Amino acid sequence: MKKTLFAAAVAATLALALTGPLAAQERGGTLKFARYDGSKLVDPIYAERNPDIWMVGSLYSTLLERARDGSGLTGALAASFSQSSDGKTIDITLRDGIRFSDGSPVTAADVVFSLDRARNPDLSPWAGLLGAISGVTGEGAKVTITLSRPDPTILSMLATFNTAIVSRAAFEKAPGATDQEKSAALFAAGGPGAGSGPFYLSGFEQGASMSFKANPYYWKSGADGKPLPYLEGVEFQIIPDDATRILKLQAGEVDIAEFIPFARIAELGTDPNLQMELFPSTRIIYSPINTRATRADGTPNPLADKRVRQALNYATNKEALVSLVLHGAGAPMTSPLMSSSTPMAVKTDPLYGYDPVKAMELMQEGGFAAGTKIKLTTLAGSADDATVFAALQQMWTAVGVELVAEQVDSPTRGAKNRSGEFDIHTYGWVDDIADPSQVVGWLGHTPTAKAVGTGWENKEFNELYDTAAAEMDPERRAAHFRRMQEIYAEEAPLLFMYETPFAVALSAKVTGYVQTPLGANVFEEASLQR
Amino acid sequence: MAPLRYLLNRLLLLVPTFLLVMVIIFLLVRLLPGDPAIALLGDKASDAELAAFRERLGLNAPLATQFMLFVSSVLSGNLGTSLMLRAPVWDVILSRLPATIFLTVYSVSLAVLIAGPLAFAAALNRGRWPDTVIRAVFQVGLSMPVFYIGLLLLTFLAAQLRLFPVGGYGKGLAENLYHLFLPAMTVALYTSAILMRNLRAAIIEVLDAEYVQFARAKGLPLRLVLGRHVLRNALISTITLLGLSIGNLMSGTLVTETVFGVPGVGRLMLDAIFGRDYALIQGLTLTFAVLVTLVFLMTDLIQSRLDPRLRLS
Repeated sequence: MKKTLFAAAVAATLALALTGPLAAQERGGTLKFARYDGSKLVDPIYAERNPDIWMVGSLYSTLLERARDGSGLTGALAASFSQSSDGKTIDITLRDGIRFSDGSPVTAADVVFSLDRARNPDLSPWAGLLGAISGVTGEGAKVTITLSRPDPTILSMLATFNTAIVSRAAFEKAPGATDQEKSAALFAAGGPGAGSGPFYLSGFEQGASMSFKANPYYWKSGADGKPLPYLEGVEFQIIPDDATRILKLQAGEVDIAEFIPFARIAELGTDPNLQMELFPSTRIIYSPINTRATRADGTPNPLADKRVRQALNYATNKEALVSLVLHGAGAPMTSPLMSSSTPMAVKTDPLYGYDPVKAMELMQEGGFAAGTKIKLTTLAGSADDATVFAALQQMWTAVGVELVAEQVDSPTRGAKNRSGEFDIHTYGWVDDIADPSQVVGWLGHTPTAKAVGTGWENKEFNELYDTAAAEMDPERRAAHFRRMQEIYAEEAPLLFMYETPFAVALSAKVTGYVQTPLGANVFEEASLQR
Repeated sequence: MAPLRYLLNRLLLLVPTFLLVMVIIFLLVRLLPGDPAIALLGDKASDAELAAFRERLGLNAPLATQFMLFVSSVLSGNLGTSLMLRAPVWDVILSRLPATIFLTVYSVSLAVLIAGPLAFAAALNRGRWPDTVIRAVFQVGLSMPVFYIGLLLLTFLAAQLRLFPVGGYGKGLAENLYHLFLPAMTVALYTSAILMRNLRAAIIEVLDAEYVQFARAKGLPLRLVLGRHVLRNALISTITLLGLSIGNLMSGTLVTETVFGVPGVGRLMLDAIFGRDYALIQGLTLTFAVLVTLVFLMTDLIQSRLDPRLRLS
């Protein structure tokens, strides 16, 4: 029943996201938004943390974007685009009359400047995603991107935050000796001119607030035929405490509060002054399992046997976890490698359904000695992790596991993941690009990240990943990803857990706000009824 | 000892204190588990990116070299650059310090305003119902965690009655006073409970002293006896306690700032620790050390003013 409700909520929010606001839009007003964490630097190439990445699209436009009906890519700053039959050349024609937020024209020179920055490994941590680009040239409204090898993700990348177009003139004018200094100076100064998104940065106070003002030259039009956005501006307040964010919304001091704890969803959903939205996301919660033959202390690792890992997955009642941790506002993972909303996800339902008898058989076949201690490393202070530990401890006792907890903070958990000093630890992921290559590389491709630190290595998987990276035929590429998901499910280097939506509470007077599955906060069609 | 010489002596003592603080914080920060490169670049960074980052930051250099660099930078007035915020540490601290200092001064003022009169009322009515009621109410305040008091005040006074805003800092003195009233009151309720208990006990002790009995016996009005003799003498131990409380408040604003969304240095310190931003943690700790030391110095000076025996010792 809860699953059906969740599916209905996902379908409803998807419909809202895809069709846009239905009511006639009011123009004007400043929307107040309570955030869990503040931005540090919103620049397409330097945005590294989600609070930065998710705001890039409000200030900067990309060449392409996802079609509203989800069918594929469409032009954004690009009026048209085409890819050569060998996949190694992309021709783009820019829209007529597009302007940055200070009124200056967006030209091919700006596109060349922006893409050259984005693919420079000395500047951008995301440069690797554009590794296939060998050159970018442009003149007038025409831009040509040349690739050294075919890259099936390249068009998706042109719709991704890190390739958003910045104003070359604004950067050249900004004070500073290096690109980093210029970027920081441009961001600190704020004001129109740096980008061509629906808003420009009008105020920023580190750790406290940020404000956007509407870009009068934005290239998109609203339902009334006039330029978007509908809002005059957006003001962000940084309120890290969940309870305080919600109180601010209930007191009418803000119009939207993000990251609502799942335990509060039902209560807020009954408040007639609020709308409780569960935006579909690519966020998955899973636990990497150390698959190395020995633990970091040199002792034999019982989790090295895949039957033991499979057994732990069968011994975990994921529906119960969804109920306990997410209060029903989520669903067990159905693909072992990605969220169900990531392209090319194979939906296996259930993926390791709860089966304690089978789990016990596999434990015995895998030679797991009853009473063996397994350490679950969790985040200190995380209520969700504490609940997960308590539930797993109880569930796994039935298959002879003595689960013990180790609480650490996030950087320590990251370091343990890198060094392999863990048995199992909690973790999560949100896609940054609308393509499975990033998450599959992270979770399974050994050279990328040691299969999310598990140490798992599978020759066929790695070869399939490398082949898929250059496969231009969509069907063959999908087949490669299908096979990788089969292998990964069978090998179970993770405890497959659940996927969660983005829980956002809005005042009843807000319409048109969307958080995309990648997490981006989209205000261009948001409006306030006054 | 002349007051100036006393002050100079105290200031000279600060030099070894700061040196010790620098050594301790430099080592403590590096004892924290977790790699600053991973904390700053994120889990998704590749091994090569992490290695290049560590090299660029000088994290691969020997500890002694890193320490000498740190000390020489501090001595030349440079606290380094925050890696997390990509800005000079001193600029970051300066942008966030006013909120914390304002909140601390506001809290202490409210605490003194609450504790002072009530301590007198309780002491002068020792053993009678006003004394019992005041002590019982403050006992409840002392028993509740600060974050819980904060949430209660937020829920009833801000969200339901809408008398105050739910958190934030505001712009300008009037807005600051309005926005920070609830967080300041949250801290003040706890601090005033401690101050009240101490001041009440001290007042009772002084009231029983022979010189006070004598002053009253020779017919001095009660107002004069309380102002000239009782308050002055009772304050000596309370000033010490107040100084210690301010020191605790300066470094303990984290909970209040988080619950009330106040952009102060308490929250910044938490972010810096989770981000393993060595330069920022070091800069903040040194700033706290300077501020707390100044508060303690002022406490000593006030005490020596109130009690000449301290100046002579």
